[in-house]
This record gives sequence, C-alpha cells and structure tokens, in this order.
Amino acid sequence: MTTARGPAPADGRPWPWLVPAVLFLAAFYAVPVVDVVRLAFSDATLIRAPERWSTDALRALMRDPALREVLVTTVVFTAVNVVALQAMGLLITLTLVRGEARGLRGMTAFRTLVLAAWVVPGIANGLIWQILFDEAPYGTLNSLLGFAGLGPVAWLSDPDMALASAVIANLWQGTAFSMIVFYAARRGIDPTLYEVAAIDGASPWRTFRSVTLPLLRTAIAVNTVLVAVQTLNTFDAILALTGGGPGRATEVLSLFTFNTVFYNLDLAGGSVLALILFLLAMVMATLVFGWLGRER
Amino acid sequence: MRVIAFATLGALAATTPVIAQDLVTRDRVGLPDAPNVMTFRLTPYDLYSADAATAEHFAGLFEEFIRARPDWRIETQLQTGDIGPEQARLLQQTQAGRGPDCAMVDSSQLALFRQTGVLQPMNMVFSEQEVADLFPYVREAVTNAEGDVLAWWWFTDLRVLYRDTSVVPDAPATWEETQAAALQAAEAGREGILFNAGRWEGTAFDWLANFWSQGGRLVDDTGAPVFGEGENRQRFLDAIAYYTGLVESGAAPARVTSITNYDAFNAAAAAGTAAMFVGGNWQFGQLRNTLPPDQFANWAVSELPGPTADQRATGTGGWAIAALSEDPEKRALCGEMVKEIYAGPGNAYQGLLPTSAALYDEYDAYEGAEFDLFAEALENGVARPGAAIYPEISNQIQILLGDVLSGAAEPEAALDAAFAAAQAAYARQ
Repeated sequence: MTTARGPAPADGRPWPWLVPAVLFLAAFYAVPVVDVVRLAFSDATLIRAPERWSTDALRALMRDPALREVLVTTVVFTAVNVVALQAMGLLITLTLVRGEARGLRGMTAFRTLVLAAWVVPGIANGLIWQILFDEAPYGTLNSLLGFAGLGPVAWLSDPDMALASAVIANLWQGTAFSMIVFYAARRGIDPTLYEVAAIDGASPWRTFRSVTLPLLRTAIAVNTVLVAVQTLNTFDAILALTGGGPGRATEVLSLFTFNTVFYNLDLAGGSVLALILFLLAMVMATLVFGWLGRER
Repeated sequence: MRVIAFATLGALAATTPVIAQDLVTRDRVGLPDAPNVMTFRLTPYDLYSADAATAEHFAGLFEEFIRARPDWRIETQLQTGDIGPEQARLLQQTQAGRGPDCAMVDSSQLALFRQTGVLQPMNMVFSEQEVADLFPYVREAVTNAEGDVLAWWWFTDLRVLYRDTSVVPDAPATWEETQAAALQAAEAGREGILFNAGRWEGTAFDWLANFWSQGGRLVDDTGAPVFGEGENRQRFLDAIAYYTGLVESGAAPARVTSITNYDAFNAAAAAGTAAMFVGGNWQFGQLRNTLPPDQFANWAVSELPGPTADQRATGTGGWAIAALSEDPEKRALCGEMVKEIYAGPGNAYQGLLPTSAALYDEYDAYEGAEFDLFAEALENGVARPGAAIYPEISNQIQILLGDVLSGAAEPEAALDAAFAAAQAAYARQ
C-alpha cells in the first residue's frame, strides 16, 4: 500500500526555498571570513583603518623567523594532543563500557568526573595547572614528587618541559570530548558482534582490533578533525599557564595571532595568521575526510 | 519633582542599606531613570574590587558623589586585568565612536591615546595650581603644549627591592652586592632573589630599570626602536648579564622564568622561602596584611640596585582617567569624579601613591617610613616610553629574557633577534 501525498513545495524548484537559508548562513559565516581576507591584504592596524592594499603583511610574516618557530610548536602541540586525546578518550570509553557491562558501581560518577574537567573554562584550566605546576619549594606536584623521593621537575621554566606541561593541561580538559564521541559510537555497535566474537573464542585484543576499532573508524576520523581544530584554536589555557613562555617555548599559532593583533596592534598581520590557521584546519579536515572516503 | 523624589530617596538611603545599594549596582551608579548618562570604563580594583572592604568603601564615595548630582547616572563598564588587549579595544572603540565617555587609561598607553587625538580636555575641573603640583613626568604626560589637561594620572607606582632583614640585613646598592647577598641566602637554604622573568609585561617593566639606570633608551624622539644599537646595545647586554649572572650562579632559582605575577613573591615571603624579591610598592601593604606581625617586621624595602650605587632607576606606572566624550558636561563630570573619588580619597584608602606632592601631606595614610623611601625612589622614576611600538618591544624583551635565562639562546643573538623584530614591527606601524 502506498501513501498518497500532494506535491511538496521543494519538489519542483527547490532554490527559491533554499535561497533565504543559504543567504543567511553565508552572511553569518562567510562575511567574517571574507573580512579577514580583506584585512590580510591591507595595511590595517588596530588603531588605523586600511589605507592601501598589498601583500606586505604576508611577506613580512614570511620573513619573520618567529613564524617558523611558532609553527613547529603548533604542529608538535597539536599532533601530540590529537593522538593522546584520542588514546585517552578511547581508553576511558572502553573502561566505562566494560565497567557498565559488568555492572560495576561508580561508572556514572567516573564519567561525570571526566566531564567536569571539560566544562572548566580555558583560562581557569591554565590557572589551575599553573598552581599545580608551581616550581616554588611549596609547589603542589613537586611536593608530592618529593614525598616519593622524586623531582623536582622544572614544569614551566624549562622550555621543553613547559610544552609537555601545556599538553598535560590540554589533555586534562579535552579528553572528555573524545570520550563523549567514542562512547556514543561504541554504544552504537551491535552487541551481537561481540557475542559472536565471544562464541568464536576471540581474545579481548582480537575483539578490539577486529570489531571495535574498524567500527569506530568514522568516529575516529570525525574526532580527529574536531579535536585538531579545537587544539589549533587553543590559546586561553596556554595564555594563563605560561603566556607562551619561557621565550616562545609554548607560543602556538593562535596565541601568536592574539599577540600580533593586541600587542603589536598589527591587524593585517593577525589576519594573515588567522588565514594560515584556517587553511591548516581545512587541509587537515580534507585529508582526514578524503582518507575516510577512500576507505568506504 | 525629580529632585524631590531623589531627595526622598537620598534620605531613605541614609537609613536603609537596601536602597543605598541600589544607587551602586554592577553596571550603574545613580538612579536608573536619571536623565543624563555618562559611561565610564574602569578597572576591577576599586568600585568592583574582589576585596569586599575596598568595594564597599568606593561604593560609599560614589554614592556621595552621585547624590550631589541627582540628574546624572554613571553607566559603568568593567575592563579586565588583561591590560594590553583591553586598552587596544578601548582605543579602537573610541576611534569608531563606540567608546565610553570616560575611561581609565593605563599610564603606559597614555601617549598612544594622545597621538590618536581621542583625549578630550578637562581644563574646567583642574586649576593651574593643581596641575603645577603634579610630579614633572606626570604633568608632561597629561598636558599638551597648549596647557590642556588631557587626562588625570591619579596614582603612580614603582618597583623596589624587598628583603628579609633576618637573612639580608643591609640593603644591597649594586648588582654585585645583590648577587653576593642572594648567594649567601641561597647557601642558607633560601631562594636568594626572585623576580619576574615569565612571559608577561611585569617581566619587561621590572627588568627595564636595569637598562634605564645606565641611561639606556628604548626608542628615539620619533618613537623608533634604538635599544639594540649604539651605546644602548652594550647597556642592554649588561642589564641582561646581571640577570643571567643571578640565575647561573644560583643566586636566583631557574624557576624565575615561570613567574608571571607579583603574587608569587607574596607567597614566597609568607612561606619564608625567599630572601629578596623585586616587587611593586603596593606589595608592602599586602605583606603587612598577609604576614604575622613578627614575620612582617623582618621585611624592608630599598631602592632597586644599579650597576653602581649612584646609577639607579625604577619603572613607574599607574593609571590615569580620561574624558573621551566631546560633550563638555560629560568631560566635566569625568574630571570631577577623578578629583572627588580617586585622586585623594581613593589613593589614601588603597595606599596608592598620589601623583601630586600636596596629597602626601594631606592624608595620614602616607606617614609610614616606607613612603619616604618610595618618594626618594620616585626621584629616579622612569615611565615607559609613550610610543606605539612599546608593547612589541616589551613582548620582545619578555621572549629574550625567557630564552636567555632558560639557556635556549645567547644574549647577543637574542638581542639581535629582538631588535630586528621590533624594527620590523615598527616599519609595519
């Protein structure tokens, strides 16, 4: 039996119906991006409107030795975070699912605890970890390490260690997001597959490798893009934790952009950096979704 | 009718705390339906201070002020402590015609605001005698060649050396004496000397005293960076060598490159772990309120040491209040607010250093011996250059100190990089 229905408004000519929404979205999202492009090819500063158009801002940044240093820091910070955030998110998800399957008590509290870190504002995250990493003789983490006969660790004063500390602070806050994505995806896997694996005598590792991981592939790809973009845009936590120092040791691209605009008053230069950030995110998203498309 | 209503409300306010509170809210001072409005952007350190007693005291001052002007309402806008971006935003909004009528302007940004022509004179409020009584560097900053009062710098501050006299009995006057005293304290198990060397404005500002004490200049008369050339270059390197020597010798801990606020020094003093630190004058009152009396009694302040005992300098900062509206009534109200609330009563309550010599005699709050020292040190006060490039120079100094003190760069190469970056930024401005 078929259900009869009259012609829908969009059956014949969908464009008249779509145009308002498209125009609204274009204005809402595209106009700011176009404005950034416009400013990137100007000589605008924060206190002077554009007076002429050129590629001076772009060329000045390309000559700036700091850009290379900042890009390396950004790539390292983002790459380590993307891998670690997903590994930690997956680990917590699998622990939760296993705990729930076995009826362990406290799983909800565990999940809430992880989520609690996620809702902490970036600035507060930086301040919390700054207190924990304090290298004063009475600093929290170093005091704890001292009780165990370890340390002290130069958490924030050593350039290499400062970057690792920034990663730790970001992991603490960001893991919950990966956990949410993976938890939803893992709950969506048909339980029958696990029953079949158990009947076949598959080990937990084999089950993970042959059932869980392949079926989480889409979630991993989507999460990679989302987490990478979030990490690329991270600057508030780093600003509060180290301010980008010591030196430029923890100055990532988003923080460099912020400093260029608000300390150097260079709106054109900041716009160029914003475009670089935008392009980096776009290239990465394209690569990940391209890989996902081929796998299908 | 409105006056009668206000007078009634005023009378009630005197006896009813709830109504009194209504005159000062989180975004308003005065009656909500007052016909005249002045917008005022202020810092969170007085009327909206996190310290309840300070906020209450200023609320009282504002209430008294607005009761005398029943037709006015002050709409308050709070700026955060992130000075650079906040001030840049304020300037940008004012230029676009969206700024407040009156605002607090950081002293280091005054020249930039002046250059852009957004400051409106408040001559109708301040007499020639009051202007003449300002400290010379303050008067120069707030008045123009025509004698217009473009802002009122209502308090100043300076950097001094704090020491625990139970460990360092005598005030070191030179860099060499400082290192020797700090090393001795370090051998006794203390952190010899602490100072800001993390990535923030305080690092550059505190350290610059060492450069200025030798006669170093950051920019020339046109505002172009000159700190990396001529005689300035060697002065700059010598000032870096002083800090490097402190860290490399163990007189200062390596952790200084992670210090990004003055509170870290108060904490170290309270914990009894530091022997000396380079701090702000306002910390003296904080230490008095924080430490037990017997512990506080050990702490003393002295001028920042110099390369020789005769070469001294200290960075002076503070905040000004400026009218940004062209409306003469609003400009007048802005100036009167400065005069009746901030410059004088506000200074005295918070122990902030007035910029006018007469106020030191007028208030009992400035009778302590420490204020004699502050006044003496102010003789060697140097304000940050009023050049648009200063924030970037400060940024480069912060990077340079972090790199050099953590061993990531050599002083000469770091100075070359910082100077080149400042010049490139200047060319773009």
